[in-house]
Amino acid sequence: MRIRCPYCGERDNGEFSYLGDAAPQRPDGLEASAEAMHDYVYLRDNPAGTIRELWYHASGCRSWLVVTRDTRTHAIESVEPARDVARARRSGEAA
Amino acid sequence: MSEPATTPTPAFLWRPRGAWEGIAKIGGHGASADAPGIRLTLREGQGLATIVAADGREADLRAILAERFGLSVPEAGATAFDGERGLVWSAPGQWLAVSPTRQGFDALPAALQGVAAVTDQSDGRALVRVSGPKARTLLAKGVAIDLHPRAFGPGRAAVTSIAHIGVQFWQRDAGPTYDIAVARSFAGSFWGWLEHAAAEFGYEVA
Repeated sequence: MRIRCPYCGERDNGEFSYLGDAAPQRPDGLEASAEAMHDYVYLRDNPAGTIRELWYHASGCRSWLVVTRDTRTHAIESVEPARDVARARRSGEAA
Repeated sequence: MSEPATTPTPAFLWRPRGAWEGIAKIGGHGASADAPGIRLTLREGQGLATIVAADGREADLRAILAERFGLSVPEAGATAFDGERGLVWSAPGQWLAVSPTRQGFDALPAALQGVAAVTDQSDGRALVRVSGPKARTLLAKGVAIDLHPRAFGPGRAAVTSIAHIGVQFWQRDAGPTYDIAVARSFAGSFWGWLEHAAAEFGYEVA
């Protein structure tokens, strides 16, 4: 599998470290219920199909990336810098 | 209170050493040493520094580097050199500054205060220049990056790994000539890969 880093171009997946699902949002630890924290920390979906997940380009530009990948075929639909995703989410919340 | 114990420091411990000293052997090696396919030039005494832009200050960084240092800031995956002095892209908002003299960037930290973090790497990286007719073939044995001229030519830069050792390399000219920077503590291990990979072409170390 190869991942097209938005900064470095197409690279072997051995250059990347895998973190997991990019969807979970950390709840406010002081406000959230135990159930919500438990969900955030432990519970993950395991879809057969498209998933957005976090990869780290450890041997390259050391950027966190959000990779949209099909778990059945490993076909990669898109790769975005995680900081752009986070900024877009923050500005969406602010709006 | 007793006097603190002091041990006289032998002067030889503080003798400056080149990054490749005791590792690389000057001269011809490997197959066809008469007409070497690879030339390895040890780049000692260079001034190196990493520049990391503060969040949102990249435009200021570009302006200061252009006005005060005559340096243009390269885009992702590129270099911007004026002779042997310039910048190599290393990550988003991060560059490696290269100068032919150790004092080349002494003024950078003060000039970029609040705009970027500057860290001297002159003793942190080992630099070697790879040229010769087999330079591309040699490098292709180590990196999983397309080095064909249509994909990677003069002025291109990449951060990747060779033999599990993190490297930053950039192409200087169409010869092709490449400069490779490796963490100095890995210089010995990296040289192990380099000399074995170059042996089949014959190589000259200068």
